[in-house]
Amino acid sequence: MASEINGLLPKDIQNLVLTSKILVVGAGGVGCELLKNLVLTGFKDIHIIDLDTIEVSNLNRQFLFRREHVGRPKSHVAKDSALKFNPNVNITAYHDSITETKYDMNFYKQFGFVMNALDNRIARSHVNRMCLASDIPLIESGSSGTLGHVTVHKKGVTECFDCTQRPHQKTFPGCTIRNTPSEPIHCIVWSKHLFNQLFGLADADEDVSPDSADPEAISDAGKAALENESEQPIARVSTRQWAQNCEYDPQKLFHKFFNDDINYLLSMDNLWKKRRPPTPLDWNNLPDAVASSSSSVSGQTPVLLKDQRVWPIAECAEVFKKTIQALKNRLENEKDGGVLIWDKDDDVAMDFVTACSNIRSFIFGIIQKSRFDTKSMAGNIIPAIASTNAIVGGFIVMTAFKVLKEDWYKCNSVYIQNRVNVRKELYHFDQVMAPNPKCYVCGEKPEIVLKIDLDRMTVRMLNEKVLKKELCIIAPDVEIEDGCGTILISSEEGEMDDIGDKLLKEFKITNGTRLRCDDFLQNYNLVINIVIMSEEESKDRDKSVECFELVGDRSQLGPKDEEPSTNGKESEKAPDAEDAKVVTDDDDDLEIIAMPMPDEDDDIKVLGTKRPLDTKDEGTPAKKRRRAEEPVSTTSGSTKYMDVEVETIYLE
Amino acid sequence: MTSASPSPKSPEVSEKSKKYDRQLRLWGDHGQNKLERSQICLINANATGTEILKSLVLPGCGSFVIVDGHRVTQEDIGSNFFLDADSLNKSRAECALRLLSELNADVAGEAIADHPDSLLNTDPKFFNRFTVVIGCHLGERVLTSLSKVLWEHGIPFLHVQTTGMIGWIRIQLNEHTIIESHPDNPKSDLRLDVPFPELVSHMDSIQLVNREDSVKTPWLVLLFKALKAYISQGAQNEKCGDTDSPPERYPFTSKQKAAFKSYLKEFSRSLGLDDSDDSFEEAVKAVNTAVMRTTVPDEVKSILDDPKTSKPESKFWILCAALKEFINDKNGQLPVRGALPDMTADSEKYIKLQNVYRDKASKDANEIFDKACQIMKQSGKQVSSITVEEVRLFCKESHNLRLLRGYPIHEELSSSPNSVLTELAQNMEECDQELMFYIILRAHLRFHNEYGTYPGFDDSETDISRFKTTMLKILNEWNTSVVAREDCIHEICRYGGAEIPSVAAFIGGAAAHEVIKLITNQYVPLDNTFIYNAITSTTRSLKLAADL
Repeated sequence: MASEINGLLPKDIQNLVLTSKILVVGAGGVGCELLKNLVLTGFKDIHIIDLDTIEVSNLNRQFLFRREHVGRPKSHVAKDSALKFNPNVNITAYHDSITETKYDMNFYKQFGFVMNALDNRIARSHVNRMCLASDIPLIESGSSGTLGHVTVHKKGVTECFDCTQRPHQKTFPGCTIRNTPSEPIHCIVWSKHLFNQLFGLADADEDVSPDSADPEAISDAGKAALENESEQPIARVSTRQWAQNCEYDPQKLFHKFFNDDINYLLSMDNLWKKRRPPTPLDWNNLPDAVASSSSSVSGQTPVLLKDQRVWPIAECAEVFKKTIQALKNRLENEKDGGVLIWDKDDDVAMDFVTACSNIRSFIFGIIQKSRFDTKSMAGNIIPAIASTNAIVGGFIVMTAFKVLKEDWYKCNSVYIQNRVNVRKELYHFDQVMAPNPKCYVCGEKPEIVLKIDLDRMTVRMLNEKVLKKELCIIAPDVEIEDGCGTILISSEEGEMDDIGDKLLKEFKITNGTRLRCDDFLQNYNLVINIVIMSEEESKDRDKSVECFELVGDRSQLGPKDEEPSTNGKESEKAPDAEDAKVVTDDDDDLEIIAMPMPDEDDDIKVLGTKRPLDTKDEGTPAKKRRRAEEPVSTTSGSTKYMDVEVETIYLE
Repeated sequence: MTSASPSPKSPEVSEKSKKYDRQLRLWGDHGQNKLERSQICLINANATGTEILKSLVLPGCGSFVIVDGHRVTQEDIGSNFFLDADSLNKSRAECALRLLSELNADVAGEAIADHPDSLLNTDPKFFNRFTVVIGCHLGERVLTSLSKVLWEHGIPFLHVQTTGMIGWIRIQLNEHTIIESHPDNPKSDLRLDVPFPELVSHMDSIQLVNREDSVKTPWLVLLFKALKAYISQGAQNEKCGDTDSPPERYPFTSKQKAAFKSYLKEFSRSLGLDDSDDSFEEAVKAVNTAVMRTTVPDEVKSILDDPKTSKPESKFWILCAALKEFINDKNGQLPVRGALPDMTADSEKYIKLQNVYRDKASKDANEIFDKACQIMKQSGKQVSSITVEEVRLFCKESHNLRLLRGYPIHEELSSSPNSVLTELAQNMEECDQELMFYIILRAHLRFHNEYGTYPGFDDSETDISRFKTTMLKILNEWNTSVVAREDCIHEICRYGGAEIPSVAAFIGGAAAHEVIKLITNQYVPLDNTFIYNAITSTTRSLKLAADL
């Protein structure tokens, strides 16, 4: 072991390595590499936690796993494989979610430092908050295709994971999904919802039938549909119940979703004044064409991969039929009313979504996608390879040495790129960033502004979409700062049932209302300042604007010129830059990487180079940030206050 | 276009494509095919070497051979994950082969327990069969002779070394050609400034008179029509002027684009569209990216001007020669790529428009294919056949072609690194540590040559003074005023040539990254030297070259 070879590692580090107890969160691509390096380096007490089990698609990089391990817990197998190499290490493996309440501050406090090898923002954010609460250093990392990064977070010294506003995962308003899709992703999301309605855990927020309460549909005309419905108080059954009643007859299902429902939508004629109206499909008379396919694979060329072809509608219908039958059989075999869980690596479930989304796309005149592309979008698939993870895993341990010595100001971040940049770096290293005083997590009194549409925002939406999904709060409790401490949201199970569907305005929440939100486990308190969306903004709600918007800290509500510097580039940004980077829900393999680029003015003197032109469109510039400053008492004179433009890049 | 009724069964996804799913999304099936056909040679299965192989065996390289005449030591076991306690004193090639083979059942491995220099003596052609050769911690002599052989045969060669906290990657490429360079910001190819006849006649066949016609029309049509009207209007205004050389009227600059945008808005409104209509909105948005001057990029031009296009000997150069002829025939334009961006529109209208581009791309590709076949016949060269698919890919990527010509290691080792020394001499006060380590690593190679061990391996005090002597000798040879830094010398002598696992992991991953770029002929590889300094967490890439 490296720690045992005298002279290789400095003595002080060697001792720290031998005596430290450390935690690795995640036993995936980076986790495997990391565990190997930690064992080789000579760490003696390693804890590793992961809630996943091994899948075939892990085997191209997660080298501690073999074909025969598929289905087994990652953490356990990783431990066994690593112990085979060095039986003299204590490895404690947990097959569990790190967000469970048993992993509280006391759990964290037993470790010298924590290393994240995660694949989703919510867990990253959670570990960040737990490490802040227990004042344990965190080494954060991620990889995505040929790109990767490693950063250190230490309370009060460096920025925390939430200091930089990360691009939020895009969600779509219900009416776009249910009534007026205009992009392939809308149809893919709808199809995943349909899967859940028919076979999975049905969620009221994931309705797939036309939404007659669409604010755009309700106006002078087009009320016919609505009125019809209110006049016929037929006992409405759930989609699941209805499908069961007709025994999942594919033809009947097809007719309902791709003909009846479409005709119903057509009756809301307000929707189609400015849009191309959808074309209902008839099971017995299906077109043979591939509509609006932008796939580069044309019909004549032999395809490279079987699933890179766009299926004609007739084929989609055939797949629809086959997969419905297969899924129905599976559902019937579930014990005790169990349900199916959608998984991108489940071929039948993936075929179902490909077929449904392409049929729906055809109906609405939207580009159709191959199964391969659909899978990328439906599963938020991020490419992943062994070499990037090896680089990341190696760098984490090199950084760990500095963390052990508490050399915070030497804990450079690394950004792994796939080509040499203008600074002649293959990988970009960046100095430690100081905490953002306005950070809504590690700031002194965290506050955030939430803009809402009063007519649409319910308590449940606040809880699920804003607090849990956007702000990554695991178990929020919320009270209204109204003098009587009215409780709006409770983390106790069951207490939300009665009021979940109530609108926020029923609680007299209005412009300027302050909500006190806290998470007991994360030891995290946040004040949410409510601002009401203007008429104009909420009118625009069909244009894929959600019924809420997180504005960040209070200062950002001020005059326009106080907004984060964007160098006026935002308006010129290539429109497709954003559209192509749609993310719908969180799933594994999601990576968000912030890549700092030198600011033109600040770095000319230092580097003699200007920022390359071709990086300008790479992402949305975020706010100005400041590098962490080493206390004056140390000898290093090279650190100065330096404003550096930080750009955030999001990657698929 | 398509056959009447394709098989209705769902496409089957093989176990293999499942296993490789996450990487196929990076380099595609054709990249994977190249990887699976590759034969890799690793010389010396030390920690860095096995790290590199690990990241090549996992994604499924075809086969690998480990050449290593060493026996496993206790230090090896401590730093190398792919050597277990049982392997002590056994052949390092064979032991590493056993554990590396476990990583992927689809990859064949072979171990040769011999040193590369004796292999070169007994079988000089031994290394010629490989796709890539990777040498780790090679001595100066072997490095020189291998470099010569591999340069001559055009086989990519990497020399990779980690010594304590310092990592070093050197890539030797005689010539490397890239069709898919994967640029960060791919540009569209719509030919609005130089519309081809089929596009003009398709556009002319579309009537946009009122809202009814325009609302579900692809934005490209709207943009084309507006552009045409805009330009003819401009021509009207200039009628009194000189008609021989019409001034540039296409809106290429951002100022011109802004003017055109407001014209486009007027134009769309006159058709009864309003701002919230998809085609209107999308057309305005697209002005910045879609209205571009169609040109042949400079890098592609210089590839086509290369003497190799007149005597093409490989597939790439035959295709370039064909492309060159095509461009000369076609007023200097590259073949049409045929891909359209997504747009909200009536399916039928979109398909028609798409087919115009697609058919043109197909026609262009066929012309280039015919030219390539012709060139092959004329040259009498038996190049393995070129398929239409390959030509299509080549055409689609023709604006992204790249060519790298390298610098042989044996020349580097026999000459003074002037560019590095100049840069160091300019700023001795705050010297670039990575450059300093580069010259120290050169002395390190020389030291090994002279003493057969690495500095610090036996007795660091003696070695430090020996190393300083070697260093001085080298600096004298180079006739430079640069002085090696004491602290860096002490640092390198502290390591005794030993590897730190995490540095080996970092450098191993980085080198494997580059090898994959070389094998797949995708992405632009490092050219040609990379130094990693784990003490300061900094890296530097250098392009070493012969002095002119």
